Amino acid sequence: MSASTTDKDNNVSTNKNISLPISRVRLIMKSSPDVSSINQDALFLTTKATELFVQYLAVSSFNNGSGKGSKSLSYSDLASTAEEKDTFHFLTDILPKKILAGDYLKTLEQIQDEEADN
Amino acid sequence: MASSSGNDDDLTIPRAAINKMIKETLPNVRVANDARELVVNCCTEFIHLVSSEANEICNKSEKKTISPEHVINALESLGFGSYITEVKDVLQECKSVALKRRKASSRLENLGIPEEELLRQQQELFAKARQQQAELAQQEWLQMQQAAEQAHMAATSASAAQQAGSSQDEDDDDDI
Repeated sequence: MSASTTDKDNNVSTNKNISLPISRVRLIMKSSPDVSSINQDALFLTTKATELFVQYLAVSSFNNGSGKGSKSLSYSDLASTAEEKDTFHFLTDILPKKILAGDYLKTLEQIQDEEADN
Repeated sequence: MASSSGNDDDLTIPRAAINKMIKETLPNVRVANDARELVVNCCTEFIHLVSSEANEICNKSEKKTISPEHVINALESLGFGSYITEVKDVLQECKSVALKRRKASSRLENLGIPEEELLRQQQELFAKARQQQAELAQQEWLQMQQAAEQAHMAATSASAAQQAGSSQDEDDDDDI
């Protein structure tokens, strides 16, 4: 049972149940278009849900990733998991799978060739 | 809350908080730096996702403020229904902690003593304290006086003894 208090205006939550800074979460929520006011309890819920999300993302990526044997987690592990799991599809915009610069240039060339042919 | 750094899109959860969570979730796992950075951004994205969805649900309900119900429904519709039980539990914890704090601070108000009475009691205590101080000061003054008197008497008798002693000597001389 948590013995400490959660200060509304504190940047850092001193509540044992929540690790993320609640006021920062509020700022991010309000920067969403059209979001006006958020009930304090709703804020708690969102903060906790975000924590669970981070844990879930980390664990899923690690378990499905190639680094499991070597106990490491890489960018591509995360990217692969985001592509595979439906609930993570909203992330695909912000984490394109990295490709080598060389490959990218090749692809560009191909596209240019095709356009030239047309 | 004024943010002096950049625009709203640069808002993210502090890196340190994320690092700590990753460490607790995946102990003994080496996590690449760009992976950590990615997790930070995913957080922001997740918060936007939930906020937007909850906001839509809120708008449909004709309420102006996003309520816990809206957030819970948003999680459900986004496919994060498995989080609902745990976040609800945490909410209960937070609420009970806040309730305890409020009870503690209002305990004084709930004594049932009206303000004038409290004021009167306070004045009484002050008066008592002043009296005690005065008595203490008086005692110290008396002690000082006594000490001064004794010192004076001691000095007087010492000089008297000296005078008496020197007149004795003269007599002795005469007898020779």
